[in-house]
Amino acid sequence: MKVLVAVKRVVDYNVKVRAKADGTGADLNNVKMAINPFCEIAIEEAVRLKEAGVATEVIAVSIGDKSCQEQIRTALALGADRGIQVETDGSPEPLVVAKLLKGVIAKEEPQLVILGKQSIDGDNNQTGQMLGALTNMPQGTFASEIKVEGDKLNVTREIDGGLQTIALNLPAIVTTDLRLNEPRYASLPNIMKAKKKQLDVYTPADLGVEPSAHLTTVKVEPPAERQAGIIVESVEQLVDKLKNEAKVIS
Amino acid sequence: MNFELDEEFRKLEELVNHFVEDHLYPLESRVLEREARGEGAHITAAERETLDSVSRELGLWGLDAPEDVGGMALPGVALVAVNEAIGKSVVPYVLPPDSPNLSMLAATVTEAQRERYLAPYVAGKTISAIAISEPGAGTDPAAMATTAVLDGDEWVINGRKIWITRADVMDFAILMAVTDKEKGSRGGISAFLLDAGTPGLRIARKIPMIGGNATFELELEDCRLPVTALLGEQGKGFAPMQLRLSTRRLEMSTWCIGIAQRALDMMLEYAPQRHTFGSALSEKQTIQNWLAEAESNIHSARLMAYHTAWKLDQGQSVRREISMLKAHATEMAWTTVDRAMQCYGAMGMTKELPLQQMANEVRLMRIYDGPTEIHKWVVARDLLSNR
Ligand SMILES: Cc1cc2nc3c(=O)[nH]c(=O)nc-3n(C[C@H](O)[C@H](O)[C@H](O)COP(=O)(O)OP(=O)(O)OC[C@H]3O[C@@H](n4cnc5c(N)ncnc54)[C@H](O)[C@@H]3O)c2cc1C
Repeated sequence: MKVLVAVKRVVDYNVKVRAKADGTGADLNNVKMAINPFCEIAIEEAVRLKEAGVATEVIAVSIGDKSCQEQIRTALALGADRGIQVETDGSPEPLVVAKLLKGVIAKEEPQLVILGKQSIDGDNNQTGQMLGALTNMPQGTFASEIKVEGDKLNVTREIDGGLQTIALNLPAIVTTDLRLNEPRYASLPNIMKAKKKQLDVYTPADLGVEPSAHLTTVKVEPPAERQAGIIVESVEQLVDKLKNEAKVIS
Repeated sequence: MNFELDEEFRKLEELVNHFVEDHLYPLESRVLEREARGEGAHITAAERETLDSVSRELGLWGLDAPEDVGGMALPGVALVAVNEAIGKSVVPYVLPPDSPNLSMLAATVTEAQRERYLAPYVAGKTISAIAISEPGAGTDPAAMATTAVLDGDEWVINGRKIWITRADVMDFAILMAVTDKEKGSRGGISAFLLDAGTPGLRIARKIPMIGGNATFELELEDCRLPVTALLGEQGKGFAPMQLRLSTRRLEMSTWCIGIAQRALDMMLEYAPQRHTFGSALSEKQTIQNWLAEAESNIHSARLMAYHTAWKLDQGQSVRREISMLKAHATEMAWTTVDRAMQCYGAMGMTKELPLQQMANEVRLMRIYDGPTEIHKWVVARDLLSNR
């Protein structure tokens, strides 16, 4: 079984992001970049499937400018067999990414596609679902457990009310939630080996996609600073403040 | 000109940082408690075994060792990043094999010595010490009084060595002794491989040092070594020793950069939280100066370390650079840790925080492998002799 995993280059989760002074975006100057944590979980799951003898090949794909090759190589160091970069300027919107991924799926014909449920930069939570719609493949989002049984895939999903288990026909799309697994660290020998693994670069045209934008960013600004809270001394005082100061109850 | 570390080495640095955060920091409070109880800042054999097995699994083994003995032979610039990360923790653990004498051995061993000493050393199976200093010869090794005299096919050693680290646990030591009094430090000092337990070798005493450390004094009385114990060429003990000292001083300097970085990180964490006289410490100009100066000093030391390592990798002489680096990195780490302790107030004096132990480690590094003053002297002499 061939598994395709999408990985995205994002600001490292430890970094406190600042908006640029002119409001055009986040300030990425001197900022550490990393693989999106949900994508890391996706890679880990694919590698585990390979180690369990279920998957035969794991392909990591990333969409972006040349710098995202670093995250592809991280995926290769974690155990993916080969990489694909789809070269675009900057980081396109979810619909464009989904269309490009659809193009890669047409070329590679994987049985399973694993994506993060969202990336921690835009927090859109859209690409997996859009890809499902575009390809007509069944999707299991927010997965906390997956199990391949014959040509079916059982996916345990984290939903508001608890857990839901669904069975999908393969080929299928899965998006990962935090509890699916705990990703390993790439060992030094694997970091060195990753350098030598195959990494193909495609243009959107190679995949028959015209990356047209539907979204424009108007302004990026930090959320308003919250005022410090206070500790009230009694329930009466609380009710009084809610009534007369916050005016949220009457 | 390219100021960026190769991608795979940045990933290696990240890996080592994860190792430090996940496996060394959690042991710190135990190490600090042991030191506070007077047991020395140590980790137990079981803890070491766990750490060794994790580092082996991650491939963090023999990073600086030559490939023909099973090492990774990484360039010096990669090791700068690794050692900076390792330096951040006060847990006394370096990535195995702990091999400060590796470069000296690798450059000098014969085929027979390679098999007997170097291979097990690189595999982390043996521990070695280095015995240079004497009661009457510290910064000035030319004053060395320990002698090695050839008697038939044996060297007979007599003398005293002091401040020898790890002499209690060593399997062998690299010993420096005078083989030609006339020539002295100009061709009269040789290096030997001395096995622990050789008749005539005695540990005279254990010397407790600050920070729960200890060194040893050794006595050598008619200690007989086979001719094959000579390491390198007779009378040329100093040149390969310089090689050992260069890599060791580079390693030490990068530990100091890690220590200073940790101290700065701790100040950055604490200063905004602690309020005095109606505002956070981080809003006081004095504290801000400490932060800015720490960052500037760390940055300059780091650039010096990478440049020195790069020159070493190119096979160029780093005599002046290594001395500038060792003096600057140890001294700036001392100042930075001291300021972090000051910033934390009484809390900075406790044995619950790692700061005082970081200060102890840096304090020792300002002395061993050449005190600061000597390194400045080397730089000045070098400058003056070029005019
Ligand atoms: C923790 C620790 C571990 C050690 N481990 C080892 C080991 O394993 N093996 C080993 O062989 N040695 C070891 N040493 C010894 C170390 O290398 C020596 O302490 C060092 O070389 C200094 O020698 P000294 O202590 O005799 O100082 P001295 O030579 O007596 O010098 C004392 C001070 O005088 C000043 N000074 C000396 N000469 C000059 C000058 N020309 N110009 C200006 N100032 C000067 C310096 O400030 C110096 O610190 C260790 C030391 C320590 C602290």
